[in-house]
Amino acid sequence: MTDATTKPRTTELGYEPVDGRLLDVEDLFVEFNTEEGTARAINGVSFTLDQGESLAIIGESGSGKSVTAQAIMGILDVPPASIPSGHIRYCGNDLLSMPEEQRRKIRGAEIAMIFQDALSSLNPVFPVGWQIAEMFRQHRGMNKSDALDQAVRLMERVSIPAARERVKAYPHQFSGGMRQRIMIAMAIALDPAVLIADEPTTALDVTVQAQIMALLQELQDERKMGLILITHDLGVVADVADRAVIMYAGRLVEKSDVFDLYANPAHPYTEGLIDSIPRLDQKGQVLNAIGGLPPNLLNIPPGCPFNPRCPRVQDICRTDVPPLREPAPGRLSACHFAEEVLNG
Amino acid sequence: MTDTTETGTAVRTDGPQTDETRDLGTGGPEKARSLGADARRQLAKSPLFWISAVLITIFVLMAIWPSLFTNTNPSEAILQESRALPSSDAWFGRDIQGYDVYARTVYGARASILVGVFTTLFTVTVGGAIGVIAAYNGGWLDSLVSRIADVFFGIPFILGAILLMTSLADVLNNYFGIIFKVVLALTIFGWPSLARLMRSSVFQVMPNDYIQAARALGASPWRIIRSHIIPNAMGPMIVVATINLGVYISVEATLSFLGIGLQPPVISWGVSINDAIVGLRTTPHMLFFPSLFLSLTILAFIMLGDAVRDAFDPKTR
Amino acid sequence: MADVILSAQGVKKHYPIKSGILRRTTGWVKAVDGVTFDLHEGETLGIVGESGCGKSTLGRVLMRLEEPTEGKVLFGGEDFSNASGSALRKLRRNIQIVFQDPYTSLNPRMTVGDIIGEPLDIHPDVVPKQGRRKRVQELLDVVGLNPEHINRYPHQFSGGQRQRIGIARGIALNPKVLICDEPVSALDVSVQAQVVNLMQQLQDELGLAYLFIAHDLSVVRHISDRVGVMYLGRIAELGEEAEVYERPTHPYTQALLSAVPVPDPTLRGKREQIVLVGDVPSPANPPSGCRFHTRCWKAQDKCSTEEPQLEMRPDGSGEHESACHFAEPLNVVHAEPEELQHHFREREDPTDDGSAPPAGTPSGDSPFEGHYVDEGVEPGLGDAGNRP
Repeated sequence: MTDATTKPRTTELGYEPVDGRLLDVEDLFVEFNTEEGTARAINGVSFTLDQGESLAIIGESGSGKSVTAQAIMGILDVPPASIPSGHIRYCGNDLLSMPEEQRRKIRGAEIAMIFQDALSSLNPVFPVGWQIAEMFRQHRGMNKSDALDQAVRLMERVSIPAARERVKAYPHQFSGGMRQRIMIAMAIALDPAVLIADEPTTALDVTVQAQIMALLQELQDERKMGLILITHDLGVVADVADRAVIMYAGRLVEKSDVFDLYANPAHPYTEGLIDSIPRLDQKGQVLNAIGGLPPNLLNIPPGCPFNPRCPRVQDICRTDVPPLREPAPGRLSACHFAEEVLNG
Repeated sequence: MTDTTETGTAVRTDGPQTDETRDLGTGGPEKARSLGADARRQLAKSPLFWISAVLITIFVLMAIWPSLFTNTNPSEAILQESRALPSSDAWFGRDIQGYDVYARTVYGARASILVGVFTTLFTVTVGGAIGVIAAYNGGWLDSLVSRIADVFFGIPFILGAILLMTSLADVLNNYFGIIFKVVLALTIFGWPSLARLMRSSVFQVMPNDYIQAARALGASPWRIIRSHIIPNAMGPMIVVATINLGVYISVEATLSFLGIGLQPPVISWGVSINDAIVGLRTTPHMLFFPSLFLSLTILAFIMLGDAVRDAFDPKTR
Repeated sequence: MADVILSAQGVKKHYPIKSGILRRTTGWVKAVDGVTFDLHEGETLGIVGESGCGKSTLGRVLMRLEEPTEGKVLFGGEDFSNASGSALRKLRRNIQIVFQDPYTSLNPRMTVGDIIGEPLDIHPDVVPKQGRRKRVQELLDVVGLNPEHINRYPHQFSGGQRQRIGIARGIALNPKVLICDEPVSALDVSVQAQVVNLMQQLQDELGLAYLFIAHDLSVVRHISDRVGVMYLGRIAELGEEAEVYERPTHPYTQALLSAVPVPDPTLRGKREQIVLVGDVPSPANPPSGCRFHTRCWKAQDKCSTEEPQLEMRPDGSGEHESACHFAEPLNVVHAEPEELQHHFREREDPTDDGSAPPAGTPSGDSPFEGHYVDEGVEPGLGDAGNRP
């Protein structure tokens, strides 16, 4: 297996990662204008993604993790959403200031995304082969039969049995796991450099989940893609990710290497999450549930957004927003008392 | 599943038990807001609603208290002034027989409103009940009801109404009798569309878990229908019924125009229009004003139905 | 062990498949096909399985929301499979259900007070009329909600809170058994823990027995005393929680457990990895003999002809119920000290799987038809050293 970091790979459209860096999200802010006010969905999020790396974005409902992915892909509905500030650099080029035409070329060909529910992401009235082939027809200008050949090859690559016959079948004729594979085939069709997977296995049975995650990892290794895995499942993250960022109320509250994160969290929310999940290999442990609810994005409490639920809360937490800082080498945490959390 | 706009709080600030839920202080005011209340608020913001509400109020008042609007006797004919143009004496002029068009228009509102309101009431009750019973029981009953409704659908609405009115021509020929006959005719041919609507609404409601939950609690079918199905399924039907009210008024006018519905000396817009046709090219004012009122009434109910539908549509919130 | 409160004996639920113009029955979807187990007072029995295994249908049949096609369901020793009318209503007082989806399990047009109070209205002899409002407020308090919110509507609550309302409704009549159909699956991770804790607390306080139906094996292990694993309408394995998780003997249980990720990166790559190939066969046409034989790496001739019974089989430290001719315990949950083993299914005859769905089948599962190369594994376990 070749070392992913030795040679930067130039993509089809000529983009080249800068020092192996594919994606650089800097200080991103996203808001939604609703009837009841402005929902601040993302509040100053920064992270990077390198070639061959698996980054997990962990968060619950309302944390902003999916909105982040949609902002990177450029598929947010711009009213009511708006991006007041921030940069999203792909191979050094800021996607947010690019003309839409150029951005559209990148979408799918350079940065691809797969979603949670394959059934509603696939068009029910077209055969799956046709939908996969569309990537080639649209972006590479291939003719119909060449594009279909490529589609069959892709279906075989993602282990859909009897691909040549099933290329004419419709999405509803496949099981959930198979549909997810078809979505993956569409996503990797043009050999993208970045693959964003938004809760790819949440709707699947656990045995199928294992197959799909194994497939994603295989493809990632094979094509040296950067993988962003968005999920709330701490088990899947432990199996797959290299680094993880935790999001809460649209903010990044912890960023760390995955081994360090589980062994020794540096933020009370991370700590709370890990303590509150039951483990397959344990019985009888107490589930320390985090009390309360995530905040209403229309009305985020002042200071640290986690303060109403935090077991370690102090006065400063209610007034000062904790900056993202480095309480220990390689560990980033947005907590006034990160060192205390680290030291247990 | 995002909870970004939830305003409810899980609060238990005292009590010795587990503190799984603590007061976040993110809750809004303590008001309970039913979906109906939310819809009413939405309605209040809609200009369409206010316009239609004002118009409907005016016409209903006209129907109940015509004397509020005019002192003139609508049955007073001044033949010398037949076909007179609008003047300060008769604001809308006079028709062929010398009646004050304005007065007749005002008094004519009653018949139209009565027909519209009662037909709507009956079709909603009959069609709604049949739709619920068919959908709830399913099976052969549902098939039977659907086929019967199909038969009624096959009969053209106005033709059916004409046939019915003609066959009942000798009975009940007083004012309320004729109105009742018209209402009956419209109800008989109007219930299938509401029944079908209610039926499909009920089919959408039934798979919901709360229906299963009610069954699991041992609720009787009547309770399930009354408390769970009807409140959740009647929305679309109410919207269509509101719009249909306007349609029923226009059908009454058509029947009266054709001489089958209300007839002179009963006053209605349809009758006035019928009388005025003869002067269409020379003295259009006789035709214009009753037609205008008729159209405005129908329009008002249609707008109301639209506004109600938008307010109750959960997707717009 | 406490008394048996609920007993299922050979319960089957088959749905007819109708096709053709005359809507004749051309086949049956065997959603539940012979399930037998006992639930004791105050215990939690977890039922796990993947989609299509029939666990949700089982829950509904036990609740008599549907009638069993065959078999008996006994409560407190009395057979109520054929009960109806007032006998059935009386039964409702003792067995209740909590549903999965917090967004469709509450009537949006009723206040929370009415929702929780409905069971008290339907069974007026449980609480007299004057005391009902107070009882509803007590229930709200018991499940961790503010009693002052009694007049609010469901849409004003979050998912986790709605689930609590559903639980309050379920315990309003003081049932002995609560059937929980995926009660936490639709909730956020941190909220799941709150609700799971609540349920355990309620069980201690009220002496409830739970039938906990779920697909999340970690949650089920946490809350259950005993666990049953379902596959294609039957129970594959049933035993104490420690037996099923630490010493599973049925290959399907082993495959299932090995696929569940554990939130601990240090275990990465250290656990036994069993990859099942293909999809679940259609319940309208289950395989002959052992239902799992089409995907099982240990399958032999006997497996396709003789259906293994769910009976006690040794598990290395005792015995528990398992439906496999070649039941043998395997550790799949903890890290393996030796090298990995990969098990792939070796196929001989692609037409042998018997899982092609007939026309009109509701499920759209596509059977696996191709070959997979055997990577040096022999049937039978304990073969260390067979590395690809």
